[in-house]
Amino acid sequence: MEGDLFTVALLSSGLRLATPIILAALGGAFCARAGVLNLALEGKMLLGAFVAIVATFYLGNTFAGIFVAMLLGGLLGYLFAFFYLRYQVNLIILALAINLLIGELTVYVMRVLFGNVGSWSDPSIQRLPDFEIPLLSSIPILGDILSGYNFIVYFSWVACIVGYIVLFHSKFGRHIRAVGENKQAAETLGINVRRVQVSAMVIAGMLCALGGAFLSVGHLSLFTRNMSNGLGWVAVTANIFGFQHPLGVLLTGYFFGLAEAFAVRIQNVTDLPPNLIQLLPQFATLAALILVALREKANLALIRRRFRRQLARGEMQSAAGD
Amino acid sequence: MRRDIVKAVLRRTPCGNLMANAVELRNITKYFPSSNVLANNDVTLSITEGEVHALVGENGAGKTTLMNIFYGLHRPDSGEILVNGQPVEIHHPDDAIKLGIGMVHQHFKLVPSFTIAENIMLGIEPNQYGMLKKKDEAEMVRQLANDFGLPVDPYARIRDLPVGMQQRVEILKALQREAKILILDEPTAVLTPQEVKELLAVVRNLAQRGRTIIFITHKLVEVKDVADRLSVMRDGKMIGTRTVAETSIPDMARMMVGRSVLLELDKKPATPGEVVFAADNITVTDASGLPAVRHISFSVREGEILGIAGVSGNGQTELVEAISGMRPVEGGTILFQGKDITRRTVGERRKQGMAHIPEDRIKIGLNLETNLDENLVVNRYKLPEFNRLGFMILSAMKRFAAFAVKQFSIAAAQPGEMIATLSGGNMQKVVLARELSGEPKFVIANQPTRGLDVGSIEFVHRSLVDVRDRQAAVLLISVELDEILSLSDRVLVMYRGTVAGEVDPTTVTKEEIGLLMGGSSLPGTATSAGSVQAVPKPQKEVVA
Amino acid sequence: MDNYHRQQRVNTFLVPLLAVISGLVVAAVLIIFTDNSPFAAFEELFKAGFGCSSLNRCAFFTTLERATPLMLTGLSAVVAFRSGMFSIGQEGQFALGALTAAWLGFALDLPPVVHAIVIMLAAMVIGGIYGWIPGVLKVKLNINEVITTIVMNEIAVLVLVYMVNFPLRADRGTTAYSPVIDETAKLMIFMPGSKWGMGFVIAIAAVLAVYFYLWRSAPGYEQRMAGQSSLFALFGGIRNDRAAIRGMFISGALAGLAGAIEVIGVHYRINQDFAPGLGFTGLSVAILGQVHPFGVFLVAILFAGVGLGAQLGLQINLGIPRELGGTVIALMILFVAAEKFYTDGISGLRERWAHFRGQKTAVELAMEERE
Repeated sequence: MEGDLFTVALLSSGLRLATPIILAALGGAFCARAGVLNLALEGKMLLGAFVAIVATFYLGNTFAGIFVAMLLGGLLGYLFAFFYLRYQVNLIILALAINLLIGELTVYVMRVLFGNVGSWSDPSIQRLPDFEIPLLSSIPILGDILSGYNFIVYFSWVACIVGYIVLFHSKFGRHIRAVGENKQAAETLGINVRRVQVSAMVIAGMLCALGGAFLSVGHLSLFTRNMSNGLGWVAVTANIFGFQHPLGVLLTGYFFGLAEAFAVRIQNVTDLPPNLIQLLPQFATLAALILVALREKANLALIRRRFRRQLARGEMQSAAGD
Repeated sequence: MRRDIVKAVLRRTPCGNLMANAVELRNITKYFPSSNVLANNDVTLSITEGEVHALVGENGAGKTTLMNIFYGLHRPDSGEILVNGQPVEIHHPDDAIKLGIGMVHQHFKLVPSFTIAENIMLGIEPNQYGMLKKKDEAEMVRQLANDFGLPVDPYARIRDLPVGMQQRVEILKALQREAKILILDEPTAVLTPQEVKELLAVVRNLAQRGRTIIFITHKLVEVKDVADRLSVMRDGKMIGTRTVAETSIPDMARMMVGRSVLLELDKKPATPGEVVFAADNITVTDASGLPAVRHISFSVREGEILGIAGVSGNGQTELVEAISGMRPVEGGTILFQGKDITRRTVGERRKQGMAHIPEDRIKIGLNLETNLDENLVVNRYKLPEFNRLGFMILSAMKRFAAFAVKQFSIAAAQPGEMIATLSGGNMQKVVLARELSGEPKFVIANQPTRGLDVGSIEFVHRSLVDVRDRQAAVLLISVELDEILSLSDRVLVMYRGTVAGEVDPTTVTKEEIGLLMGGSSLPGTATSAGSVQAVPKPQKEVVA
Repeated sequence: MDNYHRQQRVNTFLVPLLAVISGLVVAAVLIIFTDNSPFAAFEELFKAGFGCSSLNRCAFFTTLERATPLMLTGLSAVVAFRSGMFSIGQEGQFALGALTAAWLGFALDLPPVVHAIVIMLAAMVIGGIYGWIPGVLKVKLNINEVITTIVMNEIAVLVLVYMVNFPLRADRGTTAYSPVIDETAKLMIFMPGSKWGMGFVIAIAAVLAVYFYLWRSAPGYEQRMAGQSSLFALFGGIRNDRAAIRGMFISGALAGLAGAIEVIGVHYRINQDFAPGLGFTGLSVAILGQVHPFGVFLVAILFAGVGLGAQLGLQINLGIPRELGGTVIALMILFVAAEKFYTDGISGLRERWAHFRGQKTAVELAMEERE
């Protein structure tokens, strides 16, 4: 049993590790669909992780803590939108500054509140409880894979499906996609572009914060400096690879999570290098980017060839006309 | 004057009680501080209900800005707007839509991956608890399209549609929102002749159904075809309003290009020599892949100025980009000093002696973020006098800048001066200094006097004639008729990407050339000007 | 010079100044929460970051040591931005440069100075190639360089983690380290007590070299023109695509050099968390430094000094967490990027002042200029 690489435990730990990635990537997908490149997923996730555990400590209730984290995540998303829309700050610089700011500020506040520590926890903090889904858990194997998590994990799946329905079958989602694809088209029809983009960024902030909360009160029950540790950037990549589609993001997020889980597993049972597994989804993303670009290029060449053929035919016609 | 208008309106609407002004724009001024452009300078315009009103002017005259203000996309710095006699505040397109204003933009505002129905219903989707009812909206679109006799497939995706169909979607978008006043911004710019015909019929049909139409264009034949009245704008100012029936196309052209008085230019007769440059049957597409230049052939000899006249937007920009190497040609060959340069880069063409004065000195001709010295050497920084082992010789650049300032009297400038601090006229002198010093063999001058004061215009003209007298070949492209006629030794007229005809600048009348520019044929030469193939043929003999 | 251009010039100086002041004001508020006086804290921070009590215990030398990698990654960003490429790949190029240096530092057997030079050149080539790839992908396939450099950063960091944990791992301790490099590979150090040494000299040389490259050489001229106005460059006969790719290669090489110097000049070996975030900080240095080599030089020292001052002065002497330094830096970047906030405010005030004095507004002046 110890020697098996592919086990039910592996698949379910992949789902667990994928949760913050999926949530943040879904937030990124909403922003991308609204035409905003959101590279601040990392910072928003970190803020969520920190606020969730601190609020849980002061309020004495994990759910309340998570709620406050999402609220503040949404607020950060709003600030991001405000700087971008009101003062036209470059999105990339803005995102990098926010990532840096949150990375430093969380530790600063942690140390002001709880003394000079690198990580912090308190025995009073309750980790979010896992629970089984009735019916589903009784199915052999599948029940073990799909059941027995805390609510954030289930929520991440539901969020992707709801996200898909919202984006592609609701009025609000259609407005988001219209704004992202052709801002002027939406604007000239009286759609409030600002409001749509702000909403998308607030949603992204809340989802990222929830992903962060999963780290600090869902998976573990402590906060360490730079706790998100690059997961926000993994989410950026997962979003690119998932083509900014909520269901695509669910799959690629799981792919990245599984790679993480596999890396951990491989480390425990064999001497094989775990990081090579983590490289796999990254290379897949790069390959996907290149393939898509190549296809675009081929299409363009096709249009050009067609035009040249028409040109040749057109010349013949006008010659005949003379 | 006033009575004429009333008469024109009465002709169309026999009931005669529709004389109210549907729209009044009063003293509108709009300044863009970030680009330092005064787009509308105290503009006043009245539109009568139920008329087709053409708003005419060159590119950059301020027509689109004025309409964007009316549609709530820009806020004016001053001025007021009245709709049906009531003063209104339009802060946002939403306000405009509520007032019954619809706008079809020159660059369509469509979402390419959405279907026709999705685009038309965007913002007014039928829904239940926020969820879309896609079947209903397709049905509504089908209904609307049938009502107005503009059939469409509601499920077709925009990105798969031809341009004419996309425009139809834009019109339907406005009609679905019950627009009473419809603004069409350069609607024919992207259409084929057949599509133009259909569009003009649609416009007349809508006017008959009581819609007020503002038709922005610079194609005067269309004005004649479709409009009741026209208003002309130039350089951000309103020049005047006329009744179409009582204004001839050449009159319109004169109002549009302005500057009827031009300083007499004293120049020697040309002494044309060898053919320096020849374009043979070239075709060029614009940025959206549509043909902009179709099968054009011409040649330029040393020591002559060949003028290309025409209303802007008829393929001149793409033609110049193709000749200078900035845009690939789709068909045909370009010969320079006997060598085929069709596939050569800009740098290689310039090295062989091609110079280029572009139509937009701010975006293309100059780099406003750097200084005079660096702007002056972009076409010669690789020459040994400016370049030692890959390093720029700053002292030589400085000397050259000082020389240019003196030679081309660039006022108030010194070497090292930032270009952005110069006035328009001095900016153009910088371009001239760069392009005309160093004995070019072939000079392309595209709208070389656009937006300049009289003194600078004279300077530019003098410089072009001088370089011709030094036996360079000059290709002058201009929308200013007087400029073309006084400078050129031969003149071609461009219309819709083809050569509509060749005229002799010493004998042609403005009326004749105006007709060619407007797409009509010259009386008596109808066959030659009307056909695409007829004109280039004799040119080919020159090439050979 | 007309009204419009005069305003533009004033803003160039006023905006960064106001941004730095805003950053300090927010910092002061954060300090008050710790029951300290902001002014005392700023004084302490300055002394600890930029002061020099004696030659042997000179904090400023440590600041210079820490400024070295920031300067080089900042220059890397400058070169990329100046060719019109928004590369954020410094992080990955830095990691690969460091990795190359850590490996060649013990794998090669060369005489003293030669060894270090070979290492730095190799790191520059590796970093350069890693920058060249997104450049080519952008020019040939039009793939957004921001996206590719993000993914390539992830890949480079994972490769570094793998190499440190497996092929290059020196011992079986809890944290994996690469072997300590040979003495021959180490860079000279000027002052004992800090690692301030040859690396800093190389960074200064790089500042000057980048300046001369961009503002004195023909390829640098091409690159700047392409970056400032690609249409103008195309019109003038400059090959934009080549300029962009060249810019990306040089940018990568500089970031790779930064990684190498951090290894052979400071740490002598690498672990799996080798300097995370240094690449992004370099990017911020470039932005605050107005995308100019000399600006980068000053801002890198400012950042390093604030960081060190926060660590030694605030944390050790006053008990204020050292993260305040990073917070202030992040705020300054944010405020500089929000330039429009200040320019709007300035022109609003100016209009009101003009109105108060009965002078003409910008619109009226523009109308008059066109009469």
